[in-house]
Amino acid sequence: MRVWIFWVALNLILTPARMADGARNEPMKLEISFPADTGGWNWDGQVRSFHPRNLFDYMDGAAELYLAYRFQSLDVYQLEKSGHPPLTIEIFRMESSADAYGIFSFERQDKEAGLGQGSEFGGGMLRFWKGQYFVSIYGEGEGPEIESTIIRLGKEVAQAIPQQGPAPKLIANLPGTQVGLIQKSIHYLRSHVLLNQRYFIANQNILHLNPQTEAVLAQYLRGTHKVHLLLIQYSTDKKAEDALHSFKKAYMPEATEKGFLKTEDRKWTMAKRQGEFILAVFGAPALADADELIKDTEAKLKKGRK
Amino acid sequence: MKEARVITRRDFLRGTAGVAMTVAFPSGISATAQAKQKAKVVLIRNAEVLTVGGKVHEEILGQMLDEALRALLEESETLQAWHRLVKRSDVVGIKSNAWYKMPTPKELEAAIRKRLLDVGVAEKNMAFDDRGVLHNSVFLNSTALINVRPVRTHHWAGVGGCLKNYIMFVPDPSAYHGEACSDLGKIWTYPLVQGKTRLNILSALQPQFYGRGAHFFDRRYVWPYKGLIVGTDPVAVDAVGARLLQVKRTAYFGEDRALDVPPIHITVADKKYHLGVSDLNRIDLIKLGWLKNDQDIRNPLKGSYVREACSPGLTASDLL
Repeated sequence: MRVWIFWVALNLILTPARMADGARNEPMKLEISFPADTGGWNWDGQVRSFHPRNLFDYMDGAAELYLAYRFQSLDVYQLEKSGHPPLTIEIFRMESSADAYGIFSFERQDKEAGLGQGSEFGGGMLRFWKGQYFVSIYGEGEGPEIESTIIRLGKEVAQAIPQQGPAPKLIANLPGTQVGLIQKSIHYLRSHVLLNQRYFIANQNILHLNPQTEAVLAQYLRGTHKVHLLLIQYSTDKKAEDALHSFKKAYMPEATEKGFLKTEDRKWTMAKRQGEFILAVFGAPALADADELIKDTEAKLKKGRK
Repeated sequence: MKEARVITRRDFLRGTAGVAMTVAFPSGISATAQAKQKAKVVLIRNAEVLTVGGKVHEEILGQMLDEALRALLEESETLQAWHRLVKRSDVVGIKSNAWYKMPTPKELEAAIRKRLLDVGVAEKNMAFDDRGVLHNSVFLNSTALINVRPVRTHHWAGVGGCLKNYIMFVPDPSAYHGEACSDLGKIWTYPLVQGKTRLNILSALQPQFYGRGAHFFDRRYVWPYKGLIVGTDPVAVDAVGARLLQVKRTAYFGEDRALDVPPIHITVADKKYHLGVSDLNRIDLIKLGWLKNDQDIRNPLKGSYVREACSPGLTASDLL
């Protein structure tokens, strides 16, 4: 049996003082050893490394997504087996664990795979995050043998990342499943472009999202309706107020005072500010649904301040 | 300078996104004049064009392209149709797509090459290329372009279609990724491209209707649609392609799951750059051939293609 070991010259996170900020990094090496039984797939011995300036060389069309989550570096490994398409391991190092969570949450849709701090497996692709790392392992081919190999590789990579990191604090302020939260629908976002990809609001950045703001978008099941709750944290109350004014002016000019209205699909939109936060609900079947989600979120925010 | 109007979700809820777009990207052409424009697009499908394993049947694909061209240009003979598009003296660049997960099918390129040779275009005066077009002498000296690529969902443009396919004609493609790639139409106004495109073909043999991951590809979201979408109007061809992906996503996920971004670039190409018609109500879609997944309504090699009418705005039942 052959055991491959390779060193990944990555920057790992870990100064305690920075952990509170979402786990930033200090350089160290990440050791990963392939499991003895890789089903006949062998590492080709190459590591392709990318940084923010050349990420476009590796990705056609999706690089901006990773850059928006403050991408730092990527190492790509391929495992080959005669007569089979390769398996690919992609290890992304992001600026913080919140960013790693963010990129994971952005495309989450499959069943939990039990790896790292959050994972999923589907369509031949394993995705997970741990610490400031987001990892993707996939094979072009199909079949249980390939899938079990991917999972074994995933476990090895997850083990090689020694430190966990916190998920974004903002998520803790979302009302929970008792009011209909769909867990997999939670997206942590850092730009209006990403927000629009999950829920189009406007072609311009009317909510003033930027790298210094954080946002979470989540769906709630209210009866048969899916309602979207958007929670944004700005650096100051003033910035939140300016953003709310901008949003209302562009999105709900006829209801800037009230802060709620029935839109053209006969559903309700509501938006308000609490301190440096903006809370907004879209697509509620009744005004009471929007109101309940807003109030529950406000209560969570108040509790978090105590 | 007047501030551009913000286009919001509510514009789409009202069904007035096109109007909003006109205001946001004002043009020199009156709304009345624009409203009169119509476009014709051919959607042709054949149940036999792919094997169970997904291999392309080259002969059937060639027949589909011929049939589509005859219907599009209302010619009874295939070569007559091609002669209306390309002269034998033309220098023809065929802009394909090399994305490794889903390239332009070689069989489709071969079908185009065959017909260009039939028209009399010299071999040395034609070239197929994607990422090398800015360094390809045929493209640099081209008098005609043919635009051919697969239709797929796209992370930043909403739809990877004919308009998006010309992004390799600029040295800085990422500069066009802003605002959901809204300004892709601008590329079509540059001298290397402007006015040269004679034919636009979206390969919908195996479209991709949803994507994820670093390469935005997941084999679960590719399906054997077995079609071609063909037209001289790139905007209209893309509008039909985008609609196809939208109705497929809704059918697959059981909910109205919008494209990753609204394909604003299609509307902007119409309203701002006047490259064609984006309003589905003003697109005359000619549907030919196999139309229902469980029903083959023609003999692929011997019969003639059956033409069916479409509903205004193109519903799911028109396309799936």
